[in-house]
Amino acid sequence: MLELKNLKFTSENIDPAGKPGIRTIINDINFTFEKGKFYAITGPNGSGKTTLAKLIMGINEVTSGSILFEGRDITKFSITDRAHAGIAYSFQNPARFKGTTCRDLISIAAKTDNEEKITRLISRVGICPLDFLDKPVDSKLSGGEIKKIELATTIALDPKIAIYDEPDTGIDLWTIEPMVKLLKREQCEHGTTTIVVSHNKVFLEAADLLLIINEGKIIYTGDLNGAMTLLNDFSICNYADIFEGEYNARCYR
Amino acid sequence: MLDAIDKELLKTVAELEGIPKGAYNIRKNGKLLGREVSANINIETNPEGNGIIINIKPGTKGESVHIPVIVSQAGLNDVVYNTFIIGDDSDVTIVAGCGIHCGTSKEQGHEGIHEFRIGKNAKMKYVEKHVALGDGKGKRSLNPTTKVFLEQGAHAEMELSQIGGVDAADRLNEAELGPESSINITERVLTDGNQKAISRNQIFLKGNDCKANMVSRSVIKGDSIQDFYATLDARAKCFGHIECDAIIMDNGRNETVPSLKAGHSDAELTHEASIGKIANDQLMKLMSLGLTYEEAVNRIIQGFLK
Ligand SMILES: Nc1ncnc2c1ncn2[C@@H]1O[C@H](COP(=O)(O)OP(=O)(O)OP(=O)(O)O)[C@@H](O)[C@H]1O
Ligand SMILES: [Mg+2]
Repeated sequence: MLELKNLKFTSENIDPAGKPGIRTIINDINFTFEKGKFYAITGPNGSGKTTLAKLIMGINEVTSGSILFEGRDITKFSITDRAHAGIAYSFQNPARFKGTTCRDLISIAAKTDNEEKITRLISRVGICPLDFLDKPVDSKLSGGEIKKIELATTIALDPKIAIYDEPDTGIDLWTIEPMVKLLKREQCEHGTTTIVVSHNKVFLEAADLLLIINEGKIIYTGDLNGAMTLLNDFSICNYADIFEGEYNARCYR
Repeated sequence: MLDAIDKELLKTVAELEGIPKGAYNIRKNGKLLGREVSANINIETNPEGNGIIINIKPGTKGESVHIPVIVSQAGLNDVVYNTFIIGDDSDVTIVAGCGIHCGTSKEQGHEGIHEFRIGKNAKMKYVEKHVALGDGKGKRSLNPTTKVFLEQGAHAEMELSQIGGVDAADRLNEAELGPESSINITERVLTDGNQKAISRNQIFLKGNDCKANMVSRSVIKGDSIQDFYATLDARAKCFGHIECDAIIMDNGRNETVPSLKAGHSDAELTHEASIGKIANDQLMKLMSLGLTYEEAVNRIIQGFLK
């Protein structure tokens, strides 16, 4: 239902020596997401997962290649048009507003002012609707709270395809399992094609298919078991990356 | 007694459909149009004859006073001095506001000078809306002054807004806080075209354990200009915060100057200020929920000024 063809995204980049150049962030991705399936995408920090999701939503402009949704070429569609077509994206770092409330966002997404419907949507993500309904979605919300509201707005859209970008960051241990169940239920009951970007094993296990992205390419598609060696390799590499150049860094590779 | 224009102005500035319930004083074109007092709230013309004195008995709870002003006469600049004496332990709401309707090319304006004396442990909520309507090209100006004196344990909640159509506004807010008293001021101003609005705020934190919080939200469209100045002047152990945000659209210009003065070692004063365009991530979020760019801008502004 969603087809990525030779998808490429580059950005202008200034290298450490100060020379301007072009950096390839998404490098020739070809993949087709099938209707009603549950996908997990993982990969090291900075590998291009969020960039890919934003290309699908229209937030980043495709450099070359194309995106087809239900057979239609949507490469040139605006964000708004993609939303109307049934694509939804749950941001990794949700926007914080001033004054705009939880009720406002959910009523825009669900296209209703009906308080009962809005409160039901809020309670589905595990927060108390009475506390949050008229709270501004601003910098006072905790990291976990804003992620839950972000999730609620995506579910409120009842999209055909939903991309959740690390929905579990900042979420406490007790709500991760219910969150997986919630997304699974949306998938089963509404036939929502679901893509979850995550580093969390629970989501990787829950998926029908796992994709691993590295340096802007899909380097693996399959189940979690088959990916274990690859993932273990990454954990060693990352360690070296993170501590590179520091005195105490020791890489046991 | 109220014509169609009056009704429209009253509805916009005081959310009134006709004559209010409870105590009120309606002033139209510099003259008294109607007044009603209640058992606990007295309203009388001041000795100078240039304003009113509103006296609220100690212990009055849950009552409200409406004091809207209408200026629809061409060329009139109405100046009025109002004093509010709010008795100890009372809890009241005051709804003020000025609506200008300008149908000609002559200048029209209103200057309301309001003084509030809030007694011990009394609570006051003050809501003031300013708006100008009409097709006339005359300059519409509103220059309000509010001076608030809070006695021990008193609390004031002030919501001041200028919703549109006002060409020039120069506002002065002053507050003096006694021990354990507190004040929350929220100001919302929208300007467009060639309008100009200035807001000057001086808050003196004089009594121990008093608290002040000032929030300013500005939206500056077209070629308009808004300037915001606020000073927290602490003379005791106290807490004060200023939060001022300005959203600039088109060619709007803004100067925001929060200032903190601590004249006491236990004063805790903070401020946050920002000027900028509507944040991109907010626009992206609302567009991803299905709104167009223009709809997203409107929703963000609406929320910001609400
Ligand atoms: N618009 C952009 N312009 C330039 N560089 C960008 C842009 N967006 C992302 N990048 C860079 O592209 C790389 C990939 O970023 P992206 O956010 O997609 O990574 P990610 O896989 O989602 O990482 P994480 O796991 O940390 O969320 C990063 O190095 C980032 O700095
Ligand atoms: Mg990311």
